[in-house]
Amino acid sequence: MSQDTVLVVGAGPSGLTAAANVAAAGYKAVMVEKEDVLGGAPIISGYAKLVPSGEWAKDAIGRMVTRVEDDANVTIHKEARVAKLEGEAGNFTATLSNGDTVNAGAVVLATGFTHFDSINKPEWGFGTFEDVLTTTQMEQMVTAGKIACPSDGRVPERVCILLCVGSRDRQIGREWCSKICCTVSANLAMEIKELSPETDVFIYYMDIRTYGLYEDKFYWKSQEEFKTKFVKARIAEVTASGDGRLLVKGEDTLVKRPIVIPFDIVVHAIGMDPNADNPEISQVFGVGLEKHGFIERAEHYTNTCGTTRKGIYSCGAAYGPETIDDSIAQGAAAAGRAIGDLHALVQKAS
Amino acid sequence: MATYAEMQQIFDDIRGDFRYDHELNGCLNCGICTATCPSAQFYDYSPREIVQLLWTENVEQIYDAMQEKIWACAQCMTCAARCPFKNSPGGLVAIMREVAIKHEMQSAKDVLRPFGRVMLKLITTGNQLSPDMIQPDHFPDWGPNIQKVEGDLRILRKAIPVKTLQTVETAWEVSLKTSVEMYTIWEMTGVLKSLELMDENLFDVIEDFIDEKREDYEEWLEEQEEDDD
Repeated sequence: MSQDTVLVVGAGPSGLTAAANVAAAGYKAVMVEKEDVLGGAPIISGYAKLVPSGEWAKDAIGRMVTRVEDDANVTIHKEARVAKLEGEAGNFTATLSNGDTVNAGAVVLATGFTHFDSINKPEWGFGTFEDVLTTTQMEQMVTAGKIACPSDGRVPERVCILLCVGSRDRQIGREWCSKICCTVSANLAMEIKELSPETDVFIYYMDIRTYGLYEDKFYWKSQEEFKTKFVKARIAEVTASGDGRLLVKGEDTLVKRPIVIPFDIVVHAIGMDPNADNPEISQVFGVGLEKHGFIERAEHYTNTCGTTRKGIYSCGAAYGPETIDDSIAQGAAAAGRAIGDLHALVQKAS
Repeated sequence: MATYAEMQQIFDDIRGDFRYDHELNGCLNCGICTATCPSAQFYDYSPREIVQLLWTENVEQIYDAMQEKIWACAQCMTCAARCPFKNSPGGLVAIMREVAIKHEMQSAKDVLRPFGRVMLKLITTGNQLSPDMIQPDHFPDWGPNIQKVEGDLRILRKAIPVKTLQTVETAWEVSLKTSVEMYTIWEMTGVLKSLELMDENLFDVIEDFIDEKREDYEEWLEEQEEDDD
């Protein structure tokens, strides 16, 4: 009997929400997470304060983890993957990499994304210079509470954040906007200034997309209260100067001349790639991928959170770049779809 | 000064080029092309400006840019390698230059005149440059380093351990067959037609030379056949 069980793959914000909602409705949730901790990217990558709540990731996501851990209707498999899936909507059997078998009527793929690997943009110096970091590394530095150059521990006078690293870039096959980086970077600039008031932060952008309510709370606030400088320029190269600083070469497109500016730390605002496991996920679960490599969305208006396979649902960043808040909302929606369809199957049978 | 209709025609010719849509997808105005452009460091030239003028169909400013700016591009194509939209500003400049020649613009003639000597060298020897062209007077931009190539060129070239490079009038030796094949390519690709539009006198000199070389080649072929008999 599996029509009371939903298999949730991935224990990030959307998966944790899906499992909690399945359980709250009186169904059973079985979670499968490939890592040895729950929480997904915000926990594994050590995010600092979340947008837009301003709560520390470990507190906010921590509450979500505790909620499922404390729920008797949620079973959790850590360090496990789904190796095989057989059956059909209403009656799936999943074989896990740890040998366990799970019977479930529906599956929710909350398999998320993979951070862009900055090594793929070598001209921006990541992997070449110690003081070139990614936003996740910078968030870890903020979480640790001290802003310093990794090369020699000095307090940086000037930090710049390069937007659209691994996003909006046809040269490397990333034709999507990663959606969150503008706001995350404006937030990060404020966190840096808060911890290190003598550090000036510059943000280099193609467009600023702090959409909706993020405009005044992040874009404007970072300028008005934290003096973050926004420069409309895509950086061509990051090189080293003779005195141990980094040189950033760009065009100030509003002043219309090429510029070379020294910085102490350069931060890549890395984008969201499709989960690196998606080819495998696509095969195991028999679901299609859209053209960029994310999970293909079914017709959205009446098959919300659907995939190309009946009985398998998805949510959050598995579908494409997504915010944490919207991933959570979609996790709830996917749970609703899954248990709604299971309920309909049971009704039909009786 | 051209009339608006003439400027519009020039733009239409640029836009009508079969490469145009491949080189220009749109523009995010990020400036990475200008940031990475070596010419932009030294001249009043900006690949982003060229792209913007074309994308916004600013026919007057396009005409203006074709007077001087487009000739500052070194055609290194770093802009094309960097552009996140995969535009090719350098490729657009190439199209604009060809259209400038087609319209016999004075700017094109002025810019290309100093290259007449190189063109003649290329056609007659198959080499763009030869050691005997490198004289201090001709390369003021090389600065004091030019002194290093002064001296007995023939002796200096003998020091190169490659036989085909031990020449002074040419950079290397080009066979007659290769030269004749090159003439055909230049003819079929319109290079010689462009030359005619830019410098009729030079074109006449070169045309005569080509005819002569082709005759030489025919004769050589006949000799080969006779030898075979």
